[in-house]
Amino acid sequence: MIEITNLAKKFKVENPKKLSEQDKKDPRLNGRFFHSVKEVSFSCAEGQVLGLLGPNGAGKTTTLRMLSTALRPDAGSIKIDGVDIVSDPLLARKTIGFLSGATGLYGRLTGRENIAYFGQLNGMQEAEINSRIDELSQRLDMETFLDRRSETYSTGMKQKASIARAVVHSPKVVILDEPTTGLDIMATQTVLDFIRDLKAKKVPVIFSTHHLDEVSELCDAVTVIDKGVTKFDGSFDEFKGLADGSLHQSFINTLGIDAKSVSI
Amino acid sequence: MWLVFFKEMKELLRDRKSLFFMIALPIVVFPLLIGIAAYVGSQAIKDVETKTISYSVIGAEYAPDLVLKMEEIEQFERVELSTSFADDNAIKEHVKAGNVDFVLVIPDNYGADILSTGQITLRVFLNDSGLNMVNRRLTEITKEIAEVNQASAFMALQVNESQQVGLLEPIVIEKVNVADERENWGEKIGAFFPYIIFILCLQGAMLPASDLGAGEKERGTLETLLISPIERNKLVMGKFLTIAFAGVTSALITVVSMAIWGLVLSQGVGVEAVANFMAAIGAIDFILMFLMLVPVVAILASTLLSLSIYARSFKEAQGYMQPLVFIVIVPVLIAMMPGIQLKGIYAWIPLTNVALAIKELIKGTMDYMQLFAIFASTTLIAVALIGFCIYWFKQEKVLFR
Repeated sequence: MIEITNLAKKFKVENPKKLSEQDKKDPRLNGRFFHSVKEVSFSCAEGQVLGLLGPNGAGKTTTLRMLSTALRPDAGSIKIDGVDIVSDPLLARKTIGFLSGATGLYGRLTGRENIAYFGQLNGMQEAEINSRIDELSQRLDMETFLDRRSETYSTGMKQKASIARAVVHSPKVVILDEPTTGLDIMATQTVLDFIRDLKAKKVPVIFSTHHLDEVSELCDAVTVIDKGVTKFDGSFDEFKGLADGSLHQSFINTLGIDAKSVSI
Repeated sequence: MWLVFFKEMKELLRDRKSLFFMIALPIVVFPLLIGIAAYVGSQAIKDVETKTISYSVIGAEYAPDLVLKMEEIEQFERVELSTSFADDNAIKEHVKAGNVDFVLVIPDNYGADILSTGQITLRVFLNDSGLNMVNRRLTEITKEIAEVNQASAFMALQVNESQQVGLLEPIVIEKVNVADERENWGEKIGAFFPYIIFILCLQGAMLPASDLGAGEKERGTLETLLISPIERNKLVMGKFLTIAFAGVTSALITVVSMAIWGLVLSQGVGVEAVANFMAAIGAIDFILMFLMLVPVVAILASTLLSLSIYARSFKEAQGYMQPLVFIVIVPVLIAMMPGIQLKGIYAWIPLTNVALAIKELIKGTMDYMQLFAIFASTTLIAVALIGFCIYWFKQEKVLFR
């Protein structure tokens, strides 16, 4: 169970004069600060998959980075099983698995070494790491390439190794930031299968995406954010019910924009 | 911390590029280049020495003994003059045109009896801009003749031997150097040593540093690392140690390889002198020198790591680091200037004071009390920089630029 309430994050604008006209029109710009995330709230229960939707620049990545403790929120709280992770990020990091589309591997290490390194950083013992890697490599079908240097991997292999690396410490919550962006169909399928697998294991998953078909395939709950504010937070069925038959239309409705102006 | 260190070392050792810069370059490539340059140089000198030199003599009839001696030299080849020259310009043109390598003009007052001839001026027309052996060879001959003439003149004047010596050089200045061998050599090479070490450390540490900071950003591994449950200071210390270790290793490898190659090339010449010199320095001074280097390396490594993590990409990191070389060179160059001593303001300039202290240690004239102050202040700077680096690693605006 992970609960996010009234999360906010602002960034200092180094040089306000350099901003483009479009940036200046953004209502989130306030003096020398850009309020990237103003008020985001949602929750994800055990065994639930939550899809985080929103246009580019809506604050999705910032929100997920706060969840992963890479960024510290200015306001609001993040609770995993009732424990506030903002005040104790080190403990929280042991319970979170994080993966983004841009995540890389250490090219000069083998896949196995990459995964083991993060296992060690998480304080796992060697035997524990080895058995976990064996298990993951079977599940993700990585035996053939696990001991090769990861710089020789294809995109799909890299993504598999990254997934294994993200969950080597058996996290309580998994957060994925656009995990399928830039992947081919096979690699995308690997990621989706992996999410399904986590769901079956009752691990809550939060992932951001631009693909509505992935949402309809996997998600139990949907959250839409725009300009740093939660616009919609509910179950997938409620989201679907916002418009007749078209998820795209539902999405656009949540943003509160006149559909005609978008379709032009 | 060690976990990060060992992983970074493993990765570093698998990187052919940085290994090449760290090990192959100083061990093989640099000595090879120096060796080639030395070989070409010695070959050129040999060529000049064995080349036949053609010459002509004007006024040969005044000095048959001299001409005879010149003809005995193998590399000299006399060319008989068919024409006579109107003036000096004509002789100059003759040499310039390449007819002969030099023309010797013997004056008509040439003779063996100095008392009647006075000083004799032999004029040699030659192109003296290049490397040549004419002057040396001629001086060998004339010196021999002059000494004989001198002796007979002294004999005629009935001057005894001590008077002869006094006449030839009435006043002599004799230097009595109170500096011992060690101080003498220490002054000459003492400043050069820290210069080489500092620069080599910096060069060796640069590549790993950009890889460990900016490289992580570029490859997208930084974010994952940051959200691992490892304390930020341990992460920074692990990376810092890797960079410092790489810098020191690369510097040591270079120095050792230079020493070995130097011994090989000089084929044992001067080994004894070097060994004596090294023996004079003593173990404690060596340990002190090494201890002085530790905070310096720490300063360099933490600065490099701070720059590297600030940079968005590998390329940007390299751009930030290049000026650092100049920033390090200047204070060390100050220490290399003659007359600069570990006094007053120079004792307070970071890096300069360490370079000077190492020089003093090599010379054996160190004031050990000052060593404490320098060591303490340099360590303080190093600790402050490492602290800054850890602070820097916690800044969101640095990490997610």
